[in-house]
Amino acid sequence: MTVLFGTLGWRPQSLIPSIRGTEGLERVVVYHSDHAKSREARSRVIEFCRSLGVPASGVEVSDAFDLLHCASQIRSDVRKEKASGSSVRFNIAGGTRLMSSAALLVCILEGIPATYVHDETYQEIPLPLLHVAYGEGLTTKQREVLGFLVNNRDRDFTETSLAKSLGVHKATMNHHLRELERKGAIERLPDPDDARQLIVKPAPGMDLLIG
Amino acid sequence: MPQRTLVATMGTDDRQVLPAMRLMPYDRLVLVAAEEAFESAGFRRLEAIEPLLHRVPVDPYDFLSCLEAVRLAVREASRDGPARMSVGGGSKILSSAAILAAFQEGVEAWYCDPEPIRLPVLRGIRLVEAFAREEQTLGRLVRGPVALDRLVRSAARHGLSRYLATRAVRSLTAKGLLDMQVVEGTTVVRPTAVFPALRPHLRGPPGKA
Repeated sequence: MTVLFGTLGWRPQSLIPSIRGTEGLERVVVYHSDHAKSREARSRVIEFCRSLGVPASGVEVSDAFDLLHCASQIRSDVRKEKASGSSVRFNIAGGTRLMSSAALLVCILEGIPATYVHDETYQEIPLPLLHVAYGEGLTTKQREVLGFLVNNRDRDFTETSLAKSLGVHKATMNHHLRELERKGAIERLPDPDDARQLIVKPAPGMDLLIG
Repeated sequence: MPQRTLVATMGTDDRQVLPAMRLMPYDRLVLVAAEEAFESAGFRRLEAIEPLLHRVPVDPYDFLSCLEAVRLAVREASRDGPARMSVGGGSKILSSAAILAAFQEGVEAWYCDPEPIRLPVLRGIRLVEAFAREEQTLGRLVRGPVALDRLVRSAARHGLSRYLATRAVRSLTAKGLLDMQVVEGTTVVRPTAVFPALRPHLRGPPGKA
């Protein structure tokens, strides 16, 4: 059974082809803004689903103009569905540009099949995404180091203190950090208290990759 | 001397491009936009600042053509040195296509609308890296629906054992490129709807030097 997620703007037509075309549709979840026209579109989608006997719900995105907030909220919902064993797909055609981008980001990071619907032909077009989580581009150890840095973003770590915290040899940590730096996942910043030291920090945006 | 390139998507105003130009040092600016955007006042203002900027016109309502245009622009830029992207400008489709292109090409990308937000792209990790050698070999052999046995035999002629070929079919199916169905007792492998767009990422074997 499949749960269909969708971002919704003012036009229910951007989502309806996906509702019609999803095999074994179990449920529909739509993200929309607090704009009156967006709420109206949600009502029409829910009504359409009801006529098909498919449960549907709307999630009003509290701040439809914040990319990271939007992406975190969507990802948390998507992960819940995946954890319950449902197959998930996403229609990113509707909604604000930012809401749609946030949904695409989640689809890339989580490896979720995504589609958009052409504005004029209403044809559903699958996006060329792989069904594998993007974070798999890092090794398990690299993910572990990056995850530790993200979860302890407020603390300052040097390469040595990081090695000690994670219980690995300094040389091993140096290897992981060089790889993470090459991939743009971490940054080394000068320590304001000690000019000889460099502080290791996760690069901006990595919370979304690891979180 | 390597040239740093900033590839930016743009609509009819320069509101998303200017913060990116301030944020990311560059030697060359590439603007990806609809034809009409190149007639806009916003573009003229940018051209006044950067007379040598390079234009890449796209159909901003066709996702796949936008994706291909941005990917080509990024690849070309990456040949001369490091490339970075600003993906907040232009139509929703162009902006989304640019986000996907950044992930597929492993290029640092920022969403400037107008506050800059860095996307979690792993630099240098291109989509092609997601495919093992046997997946690339097998993927290149699929042109349409084909019986699994026949595909495996064909893969053997390209140096893949039965085990490796079957494993590649399974993993390409899990990745969403292939679909397997039993038709009248025969397992048939079919390319999915996304296969044609992902096929270019299944690169050929390295050529002779």
